[in-house]
Amino acid sequence: MTAARLIINEIKGYHRFLKFLMVLVGLGALASLVRFIFGLGVTTNLNDTYPWGLWISFDVVTAVPLAAGAFTLGAITHCFHIKKLEPLVRPAIVTGFLGYSLVSVGLLLDLGQPQRCWHTMVFWNPHSPMFEVSMCIMAYTTVLFLEFLSPVCERFGYHLPLRVLRTLEMPLVVAAAAISTLHQSSLGTFFLIAVDKLHSLWYNPLLPLLFWISAIFSGLSIIILEATMTHKWLGQEDESELLETLARIIPWVIGVYILVKAYALFFLSQGPFFDRPGMVALFAVETIAGVFVPFFMFMRKKVRTDNRLRAIAAGLLIFGLVLNRFNVSMYGMIHDGQVYIPSLVETLVTVGIIAAEILFFVLIAKYFPIFEHHPETVDYSIPDHFRKIEKEHGEHGKVGSEA
Amino acid sequence: MNSDLKEFNSAAAFLIDMTKCTGCRGCQVACKQWNQLKGEKTRFFNGEGYQNPPSMSEYTFTRIKFRDYQKNGQNEFAFYKEMCMHCNEPACASVCPVGAFKKTKEGPVVYDAKRCIGCRFCMVACPFGVPKYEWSKAFPLVRKCTGCYSRIREGLKPACATACPSAITYGPRAEMLKEAERRIAARPERYLKKIYGKEEAGGTSVIYLTALPFDELGFKQVTKRSLPSYTWQALRLVPGIFLTVGGSLSLLSWFTHRKERLKKEEEQRQASSHKAKEENQ
Ligand code: SF4
Ligand code: SF4
Ligand code: SF4
Repeated sequence: MTAARLIINEIKGYHRFLKFLMVLVGLGALASLVRFIFGLGVTTNLNDTYPWGLWISFDVVTAVPLAAGAFTLGAITHCFHIKKLEPLVRPAIVTGFLGYSLVSVGLLLDLGQPQRCWHTMVFWNPHSPMFEVSMCIMAYTTVLFLEFLSPVCERFGYHLPLRVLRTLEMPLVVAAAAISTLHQSSLGTFFLIAVDKLHSLWYNPLLPLLFWISAIFSGLSIIILEATMTHKWLGQEDESELLETLARIIPWVIGVYILVKAYALFFLSQGPFFDRPGMVALFAVETIAGVFVPFFMFMRKKVRTDNRLRAIAAGLLIFGLVLNRFNVSMYGMIHDGQVYIPSLVETLVTVGIIAAEILFFVLIAKYFPIFEHHPETVDYSIPDHFRKIEKEHGEHGKVGSEA
Repeated sequence: MNSDLKEFNSAAAFLIDMTKCTGCRGCQVACKQWNQLKGEKTRFFNGEGYQNPPSMSEYTFTRIKFRDYQKNGQNEFAFYKEMCMHCNEPACASVCPVGAFKKTKEGPVVYDAKRCIGCRFCMVACPFGVPKYEWSKAFPLVRKCTGCYSRIREGLKPACATACPSAITYGPRAEMLKEAERRIAARPERYLKKIYGKEEAGGTSVIYLTALPFDELGFKQVTKRSLPSYTWQALRLVPGIFLTVGGSLSLLSWFTHRKERLKKEEEQRQASSHKAKEENQ
């Protein structure tokens, strides 16, 4: 009783925006309840022509690359050892962990037989990209969860698990990067089977590679956007110097993306490009507004150093990615005449999932040391048993675990 | 792959000669009866042609498509029997994460409803748009033509092939192909010089003969390559990529951390020697 009262009092103190998000999450939960009671056919606008709709296109195919910040940044920071980026890592991990958990929710909602989701672990079909992706998502969510445990343990002062987690840190970062590479690209492999269905502006054998590269730059863009917003609205530290570093990496990645895309388009694609004006328009918007404009923006120092412009460029890049994933998984699929517009239930669920992501992020940031974490005071070197560094630096290591 | 091909060719296949089809729709009815499928409420002219029901569905595994066309200024009908093609290397089976679809050695591609998790990837993958979903149910499953697997295992012919008075022949694929070629050669003026299903999607266990251009009839333009190979060319790289990325990142971080550590050690040594010097003085 008192606990409930405490919680209610706590919630009463929240900002209006958070309360609004809670309402959205509640509506989303209600909508998913409706979906489970009445079934997919009644509550969604899916049909035999459009077996996949908003939930696959957004909650899975788009949300996964948007959650890619964790693995990219982890790899850049730890493997290339650009230590100064460290303060951005934890928010990225939290975003990734939340993103993937919600991807799983979205996937579960979309299954016709959600109670059988464990079948993927029992009946293996390694020829299926879906099998590969679901395995990776399970593995990766576990990895992100372990990475996320660090701030939780710090919060509650559990020292022993912290030491274990610290030892696991590097293997986890490497595993995260390897697993992500696989499932980010396999999402592209999904659509390789749609040989005569996906329009040739998007269908080419390099689709998996393109999905992977675009996941990298969109993951980084999300970090930029997120850090800019948390600085503005959550009163967190201004990380612009670090974001500048990211903004310097991004155009390189986009550059590679453009080269691969051009090569795939001109040398590997088959079939006509200009047979459908609608497709051409979608493609033009995606590549011009979502790839080239941010590319040239990020190339300019003025944009990289300006908080607002940098966030706008990142936003455009994300817009391009979202449109690209929708084009590949929905609009680009050639269908005869029928149109698909998501139903109210589908929309509410997706909105609820997005709201949940933001809400949980803010709440976690509120109660756990996500931003207050000062990596300068923590020793991040791998415990080295061969050269006995640890012994000499005993005090040092301890400082790390208690920080 | 080649030994498999032999197996496909000895397995049973449908030879459907659309020039001999009268449009009686006996096959459609026989299919409904054998599979105990509900009738659908239909309306005239609510699809693209005269056919009913308007499309295959959870209740309709096969159906005769009607097409209007003009020949020498005369209005004529054409028919096309739509059903699962029972591909030699089925896309549906390759993408299903839980392996619910299987190509049997007898020929039909069958579906194990007990495994299916309802992801509907099979529907996205099938180049012929065959698998349909039970949109009417709260916990839906996939439905499609089973090639009457339960019948042919008992030595019977599929229901539609049994019911058809003229157009469907059922037997080993190699023989059906030979028969199709024989018919084309014997009456070249009657047939289009093409056997649909011979190479489509890497070959299917349902092959068609017709007098009309296939696309005009509503046959889908389908790649000749087997579909699973399209995804497999990427998926087979998975273990290699995993090891490469994991390995190179591990190496990289080992190097960078080693550099860092050496630097620190160096600093330490300098500091301590400095201290020692100071103490000595
Ligand atoms: S036609 Fe479609 S459903 Fe039938 S076997 Fe081929 S891929 Fe599978
Ligand atoms: S819907 Fe069922 S049969 Fe089709 S791919 Fe998914 S799990 Fe397999
Ligand atoms: S039963 Fe035979 S003749 Fe009658 S519609 Fe079917 S394929 Fe044509």
